[in-house]
Amino acid sequence: MPYNKPLPSVDEDIKPFWEACKRHEFMLVRCKRCGAWYWPMTCCRNHPNEPFFGNMEWVKASGKGKVFTVCVAHRVYHPGFKDEVPYVYSLIELDEGPIISSNVIGCDPYQVKVGMPVEVVFEDITEEFTLPKFRPIK
Amino acid sequence: MGIGDFRDKFAIVGLGVTKMGHQPGISARAFEVEAARLAIEDAGLKREDIEACIHSKADGSVGGTYDWSDYLPRVMGLPVKVYFTICRGGAGATLSIVAAAKLLEMGIAKYVLISYGLNEWSASKIDPMGGHQMGAYYEKRGLWGPAFGCLDAVHIHSAYMSRHMYEYGTTPRQLGAISVSIRKWACLNPAAYMYGRPITIDDYEKSPIIAWPYRILDCCLVSDGGTAFIITTAERAKDLKKPPIFIMGIGFGEQEAKLWWEKANYTQLAVETAKEHAFKEAGIELKDIDAAQFYDCFSGEVLLSLEDYGWCKKGEGGSFVEAGNIGPGGSIPVNTGGGMLSSHYQIDFTGLAEAVIQLRGEGGARQIKDAEICLVTGHGGEMITPGMCAIHSTLILRR
Repeated sequence: MPYNKPLPSVDEDIKPFWEACKRHEFMLVRCKRCGAWYWPMTCCRNHPNEPFFGNMEWVKASGKGKVFTVCVAHRVYHPGFKDEVPYVYSLIELDEGPIISSNVIGCDPYQVKVGMPVEVVFEDITEEFTLPKFRPIK
Repeated sequence: MGIGDFRDKFAIVGLGVTKMGHQPGISARAFEVEAARLAIEDAGLKREDIEACIHSKADGSVGGTYDWSDYLPRVMGLPVKVYFTICRGGAGATLSIVAAAKLLEMGIAKYVLISYGLNEWSASKIDPMGGHQMGAYYEKRGLWGPAFGCLDAVHIHSAYMSRHMYEYGTTPRQLGAISVSIRKWACLNPAAYMYGRPITIDDYEKSPIIAWPYRILDCCLVSDGGTAFIITTAERAKDLKKPPIFIMGIGFGEQEAKLWWEKANYTQLAVETAKEHAFKEAGIELKDIDAAQFYDCFSGEVLLSLEDYGWCKKGEGGSFVEAGNIGPGGSIPVNTGGGMLSSHYQIDFTGLAEAVIQLRGEGGARQIKDAEICLVTGHGGEMITPGMCAIHSTLILRR
C-alpha cells in the first residue's frame, strides 16, 4: 500500500537535516564559534552572527533526550492515521539542549511520561523520506 | 506618545454579531458582510461614513486562503480610502484596533470598521480536512508536524497542559471545572450555542478524549458566523446612537524565542509584558476588573490566564477554578457569554463582543451588576511545535 500520510515540506534551511535522516544520522545545528546547539537552522543567540548563518553548521548529534510534553492523539484528523490512533506526539528535549517534536513509539502510548529518556529511531517511509521518531531507552 | 496618552482616546461605537452555530449554505464572506451591516446599523452610521476597513483573520500568517481582496469594500460598496488584512492567530481584533487608532489619529478615517467571519463548521462537514483552515494549511504546506500526526490545534495546545500537570499536579477534573463553569454562563445566554445544555463534571469525565489530556469538552466550538465593530475617536463617539465603550489600554506579549530556547513558557502565556503595558496605560489594577473575557480555545488557556494575570498563584489555577471562582457568583466572572468553549468561536472577537455587551448593560440574565471595566485577551500565532502560539494580547475596555 502506498504511503498515505503527509510528507515533510523541505526548504533550503532544513534540507541537510532530511538528507542526514536518509542516511540514518540525526543532526543538529551547532555554532562554530561557541559550540551552542540549535534545531532547526537558527542564528546563535550568544554573540553577533556572520552573514547568512555563516557561523552555524549541521553536526551529528546524540539523538538522545527526554520526553518534554505528551499528547496522546485519539481522534483521526487524516485518513493516513486511521489505523495508528492512539499515537503519541511529543516534544523531546534533546541532551544537547534543543527541543524537537516527533512520535514516541515502541511502547503503550499511556506509558509515555514527561521526563522519560528516549532515543531516535529512523523510519524509512518513502524513497525520499526517513522520519526520525523516538523510543524509550531500555 | 507616552504611557497614558492612548487611554480613553478611542471608543467602540458599533457592534454587529450574527447568529452563531451551525448554519450551512452561507459563505464566510456573507457572515462577515452581515456582521458589518449590523455594526454600521448599531452605531447609527451610514455606509458612506466608513472610510477605512480592516479585515481580520486568524490564519493569514500561517497560510490559508487568499481571498481577502474580495471582501467588504466590493460587496458592500464601501467608499473606503484604505482596506487591509490583519492576522496572527487569535489576537486579530486587538491588533486591528492598534492599526485603526493610528488611522483615526492621522485623520485618514473618521470611522474604522473591523470585521471577521468564518463558516468553519459547515466547511468541515463538506471536507473534514479542507474545511478546517488550520488543517487545510497543514496539508498544503507540510512543515514539520503533519508527518508525525500533528494535524490540529489540539495536538499543539495539549503541550501546555501536559507540562502544567507534570510541574504542578493539575488534574483532569480541574480542567473539567473550567468547562463546567463556562457552560453555566452559556446557559444564561440565549445566543450561546450551548444554551439550555448544562454539563456536570461527570459529563466531562465521560466525554471522549480527542488528544490526551484534552477531552472534547476541553475544546472550543467550531462556528459559522461573523463579528464586526466600529471604532472612532472619543470626541466623535459622543454623538452616536449607543453609549461609547472606551479603549483604556492595550498590550502585547511574544514568547516565540522563550518557547524555543529557554523552554520557560510551556506553563505560561506571554502575559507579562502585555499586562504590564495595558494596565499601566489604563491606570488600573487587577481588582478593578469586573469581568474577564479570556481566549478559551481550550480549557487550559483559561487556567494559565488566571495564573498569569495574578488571580491566583502559578500552579494554583486548578484549585482556584475547582472552588467555583470563575462561574456565575464567583469572585471573577470569566467568559460571561459562554466563551468559545460554550458560545461560539470568533477568535478574540468573541471576548470583545461579550465585553461590549456587558459594559453597555445589555447582558440580560448574565449581566454583571454595575460592570465598568472588562479585560479581553487574545492568544495564538503559528502552529509549529515547539514554538507554537506565541502571541498574547491584552485589551482593557470601560464604559
